[in-house]
Amino acid sequence: MIKLRRFFYIGGAFLLLLIKFTIDVISKNVVLETGGVSLLRELSVIGAFLLLYLAFSTAMGRREHAPVRRLGVLLIVTYGVLIASIGFGLTSVAGFDRKNFSLLPLDYPTLFLASVSSVMLGLFSVLAIRLLRDLVLFQRRKGTQRNFLLLGVAIAATGASVLMLRPLQDSAATTIFFIIAVILAIINAFRLPWIVYLTKREKVYTLVYSLLLFFAYTALNVMLAREGSLREALLYYSYPLTEVATLTAIFGNIYAGMAFVSTLFHLPTAEAFDRKRSEVTSLHNLGRLITQVFDFNELVDTVTAMTLQVCEAKSCWLELVRGDQPSGAAGSVVPSSVRVVAMKHIAPAEIEQLHQAEGESLRDEVIRRRTPLVIDDILREPRFLHLKKAKSSIASIVVMPLVSHNALVGILYATKDTSYGFLKDDVDVISAFADQATVAIENSRLINESIERERLIREMMLAQEMQRKLLPQSVPVYATLEIAAVSTPAFEVGGDYYDFVALDDGRLGIVVGDVSGKGVPAAFYMSEVKGIFQSLSRMYPSPRDFLVRANEVLMGTVDRHSFISLLFAILDVRTGGLTIARAGHCPMLLVSAEKVSYIRPGGMGLGLSGDALFAKSLQEQNVELREGDVCVFYTDGITEARCGEDEFGYDRLLECTRGAKHLTADGIKEEVLSSVRRFVEERANEDDITLVVLKWHGDRGRELNA
Amino acid sequence: MSDFKIGLREQNSVHILELKGYLDAHTAPKLEEALQNLLGSSRYNIVVNCKDLSYISSAGLGVFMAFIEDVRKHSGDIKLTNMSPKVYNVFDLLGFPLLYEIFKEEQDAITRFFDKSKNPSSTLQ
Repeated sequence: MIKLRRFFYIGGAFLLLLIKFTIDVISKNVVLETGGVSLLRELSVIGAFLLLYLAFSTAMGRREHAPVRRLGVLLIVTYGVLIASIGFGLTSVAGFDRKNFSLLPLDYPTLFLASVSSVMLGLFSVLAIRLLRDLVLFQRRKGTQRNFLLLGVAIAATGASVLMLRPLQDSAATTIFFIIAVILAIINAFRLPWIVYLTKREKVYTLVYSLLLFFAYTALNVMLAREGSLREALLYYSYPLTEVATLTAIFGNIYAGMAFVSTLFHLPTAEAFDRKRSEVTSLHNLGRLITQVFDFNELVDTVTAMTLQVCEAKSCWLELVRGDQPSGAAGSVVPSSVRVVAMKHIAPAEIEQLHQAEGESLRDEVIRRRTPLVIDDILREPRFLHLKKAKSSIASIVVMPLVSHNALVGILYATKDTSYGFLKDDVDVISAFADQATVAIENSRLINESIERERLIREMMLAQEMQRKLLPQSVPVYATLEIAAVSTPAFEVGGDYYDFVALDDGRLGIVVGDVSGKGVPAAFYMSEVKGIFQSLSRMYPSPRDFLVRANEVLMGTVDRHSFISLLFAILDVRTGGLTIARAGHCPMLLVSAEKVSYIRPGGMGLGLSGDALFAKSLQEQNVELREGDVCVFYTDGITEARCGEDEFGYDRLLECTRGAKHLTADGIKEEVLSSVRRFVEERANEDDITLVVLKWHGDRGRELNA
Repeated sequence: MSDFKIGLREQNSVHILELKGYLDAHTAPKLEEALQNLLGSSRYNIVVNCKDLSYISSAGLGVFMAFIEDVRKHSGDIKLTNMSPKVYNVFDLLGFPLLYEIFKEEQDAITRFFDKSKNPSSTLQ
């Protein structure tokens, strides 16, 4: 579509120019009166160049060309036109005859050459306006477009004012319009905001281009102003075109000059401007980076890469301080806890070399002082003399501590191979940059920590599930008795244990135990006790023998300040005969019809003493259960459940059980638990709690079941 | 959670630790540190006065177990005194009276250290 339109524009322009040329050829020797033919001739020219302007506009379209490139194109075209014009001037043709304020070509070559050079200049003017327009309108404001439009109007008015004049005539109106156009050209030539945003390199190009352009335009203007062959040719071809071309050239001339001067003034600050711009970009990028903290390695790599960028350093590296001791005391961070996590343009060996200073290394100094260090000339410092020998490329260095919440998180280093390479500005920007990096690194660390915490929580949940499976999934069922049991760890896992084992001769083994301490270590011992109980209880069917053997096994594995208390009872489920041995565990509570008592045979905890002392201390006690008797096995989580200074204690347990003895085993269990819960005022239990309640029904139970 | 304090005195080259408050898993490290310091400076004649000790948990008992072997190897001992009935009950349940000499009065424990000729160094056999 655009192509078709452009084809029409160019075709139309070509047609109009052909008409004009035809008129010229036919009326070669005639002074045209300002009449129909003359007007047609001028209008064809105006029409043709308007169409060409449109054609250029569609060709450039909306593409944003860099200002420097536009200038370059204009420069090339201008020199082309200049050289061509000089060439035309040197071509020997007959020239023009001046007659009655008009110019008449003396021969056809003159006419032809005049036409060609005029069309070329016309084309050039159109192109130049089109190219300069975008520069002037760069970052346009309200007035910008208006001013440029006024310039266009003034140039058009100047052209229009000579429409009815003969080439050598003059009018006051033309002069006035001309002066107005020049003033507007000067105003528009101040529109140079694009220069500010150029990089230093581009500014240098602009400086050269604009100067060359200025020279070219000056030469062109001289040729247009002189009563030479070029001006004569243009005047002959079209008076309005002459004015437009002249004004366009003047505008180009002024604009090129202004651009040169402006660029010249901007050049000294170009480097600073470049740097500021790259600082802003980097800080902006790092700001975005803070949200991308999942890949720690990528983060630290970017931090070093950007540090290089912001201060144009030669090399850069980042060290992280491990172990977050807030090193209040001097040098309390041991060097081994500092590690290099990212480096750019430097080898680990070089970093090590730098840190092997005679005396305090930079790392130690920054750890001690917690302030940025700037070494302008490292080879002059006596402690770094070894670097000189090693021909190190480091001449100046900035060491920046990354401090978060008063803790040293890391150290950022940037080096240059020139002494005094870092200006105050550089240090400031690295410092600002380091702050951002600290936040990003801290965020990354926190996220990783919380991921790790999540993982640990999942592990603990698994452990809890595993431990729950170590406890009996159901209680044994007998006609003569009822059993209820519960165990709740204070934390995810605990050290309490209870278990049952059905012995071959129809007896039931009941064990309740407590590992000293809580949490994971206790849980490990607890699972070991389970293994020992399940394997040994069948081989040593006397409670005392079992405990002596279990102690021998545990002495080898339990560490010195841990021990295990166990209560092992064997019940003959046919007769109700109960044998108890107690290895340091809480005594069994027995509630019978006539009395309530704690059954406490002597015996010390498992894992305390491996020799005969343990066996000597251990006693067995026998109880004959009667119908309705209740036995309560428990751990110290029950009796030592605390409320302020007070403990739940043995008396409360005893009273509570006595009050509930008529209930089922499960009912008694619930009553004891809720009574403990009431006592601690619904707080979470601080210790593992285990409770096993046994209610003996004896023969009555058998009858009921039968 | 609760307060636990340790006082240290010396009498005739016997070092007396006075425990006060609650000795449980949280406060046990304090006692551990105090005993470690004594052993570190080769002081092996130790009396632990439990007059103001209101509670002791299994972790607290564990501390004594951790050090007793070392102390006795250097022909010293840890003797316990002035326990309240409640605290004594905890020691007794676990069979500690078989492992440690426990006295009603601190002075008895101190004199016992200089009484070795009459009685073998410890009851632990």
